[in-house]
Amino acid sequence: MDVRDVARAALPWALVALVAGLALGVDYALGKATLVLTYAIAGLGVVIVVGQAGQIALGQAALVALGAYTQAVLVRHGVPALLAVPAAVLAGALGGVLASLPARRLGGLYFGMSTLAFALIVEEGLARWESVTHGAAGMAVAAFGIFGWQATTTAAQALVSLAALLLALLACRRLLDLHHGRAWRAVRDDEAAAAACGISPAATKMQAFLVGGALSGLAGALYAHWIGFISPEQFGLVFSFELLMLAFIGGARRLAGAVWGALVIVAIPPTIALLRDLLPGEWARAAGLEMVAFGAVIVAVVLLRPAGLAGKD
Amino acid sequence: MLAFIQVLTSGIAIGCVYGLVALSFVLIYKATETVSFMQGDLLMLGAFAALALHLGLGWPLWLAAPVAVAAAGALGAALERLALRRAIGQPHLVAVLLTFGLGMMMRGGVASVPAAAQDTYRLPFAADTVAFGPLVLASSHLWVVGATFLLAGALAAFFHHTRTGRVLRACSEDARTAALLGWPVARMHTLAWGLGAAVAAVAGLLLAPVTFVHLNMGFIALKAFPAAVLGGLTSLPGALLGGVFLGVVEAVAGLVLPEGVKDMVPYALLLLALLLFPQGLGAGRAARTSV
Repeated sequence: MDVRDVARAALPWALVALVAGLALGVDYALGKATLVLTYAIAGLGVVIVVGQAGQIALGQAALVALGAYTQAVLVRHGVPALLAVPAAVLAGALGGVLASLPARRLGGLYFGMSTLAFALIVEEGLARWESVTHGAAGMAVAAFGIFGWQATTTAAQALVSLAALLLALLACRRLLDLHHGRAWRAVRDDEAAAAACGISPAATKMQAFLVGGALSGLAGALYAHWIGFISPEQFGLVFSFELLMLAFIGGARRLAGAVWGALVIVAIPPTIALLRDLLPGEWARAAGLEMVAFGAVIVAVVLLRPAGLAGKD
Repeated sequence: MLAFIQVLTSGIAIGCVYGLVALSFVLIYKATETVSFMQGDLLMLGAFAALALHLGLGWPLWLAAPVAVAAAGALGAALERLALRRAIGQPHLVAVLLTFGLGMMMRGGVASVPAAAQDTYRLPFAADTVAFGPLVLASSHLWVVGATFLLAGALAAFFHHTRTGRVLRACSEDARTAALLGWPVARMHTLAWGLGAAVAAVAGLLLAPVTFVHLNMGFIALKAFPAAVLGGLTSLPGALLGGVFLGVVEAVAGLVLPEGVKDMVPYALLLLALLLFPQGLGAGRAARTSV
């Protein structure tokens, strides 16, 4: 990748940032940008597991939760935030490996079900293990800090997220070019053929889940700091499906798809709220309308672009 | 001992509901190879539809309940025609996302009705108890078990003794061959979705006196996935038995295990079953008969 490629990749994002900054106000835009960048890191994990390795992952939010809670608990006990991040990444990766254990013997839908079961167990466990996680009441998380400097402004938070995302993107690009990436794609396209070529499908899937889990853990660690408060229900089924949608919208086979998908997913709720305010009458205030709209967006995207998962490499 | 029998009955009853939802899921999955994540929402919608007809319009329950079930079936069939058939032949995730989105729209739609969003309701039947000597059982539990038996019998008769049922089975078994033989595969897909939605609605009606009718009652369908997987994902009796088994295990776990562990038991069992019997508990038999 030479300078011109980098410029070409960065140009649309500079435009998006400029327009958002002008239209929404700099502070609001930076806050949303932080969220987009953090979602994109978690989305990269889904792109690896779903888009590259071709597995069904229905519980990715639980891996984000493991990262977020590891970070929150460690920081609360006085561990510097920067040192807690590797532990959060490790927690996510271990969770990914655990969730992928049934993949040793089976594929496809059964495996998707096992990731779902894993996620539901994690969510329930976080809600019940009150001595550490404060249960369903949730816990507050202090600001992210490095060597006494604290990321309290939205600009600083966006900068930290951007750095983390770029590092994650670089690492993923390397992995995809190495034999790992080739093994993932081989298992995705034909498990039996891959096995015949000496690629172990079980080990390959586990690696993909390890990387996907590590990315989710990293996203969770940052997310906990930016939101400042975490509780188990934030990381439920809806979040898992948001991440799937993210990969689906962006095109699950490209790494950059995660970033575009994150932009759309983060933009949907404020857009819906904005449109709702334009509607006349009382019925538009009904609580369920946003859920209908979000569901409709999912349905529309899937119907208009059913090949979203199988976009170009 | 009496308490144990009571817990067992309630476990069997709730297990029947898991089983019916799992059965509806497997019915659709087997016939169309699409994964439905909206069975819980159809269940909730069915219960609310009966409630609206009964309490809102004042229809008697014996009329409101079948109309609600039929409406849910029609909705399932219509959704298949409009949207869900686009997911056939696509990766599983396409159907998963599509049905999740549709389910979200149903949940949001019901939540938009203030009366539905704010309260929990109870359908006015089977609220009392039945005494067998010293043993006192909730009649709602007996209702659930009895109705499940009847429905399972009716479905078995439909699948084995009617022409349509046999064609549906043929299309589920091998869609390509069925199409070559001239059977209307596309229409059978519509029928499968209609049936699946109707069975889910029946499960909602049966659940109504047990847990009341409320917006989140559909979450019970998450426990139908372990039931379906335990049954091997392609066996209708397997799904029903898997559900009953889970219900009983969960009820017993509630007795002997600490508070809160009970809700994890179905998922832990699912993981365990996948690790130990990756093709489902009935797989050995299926493999032997297919050779």
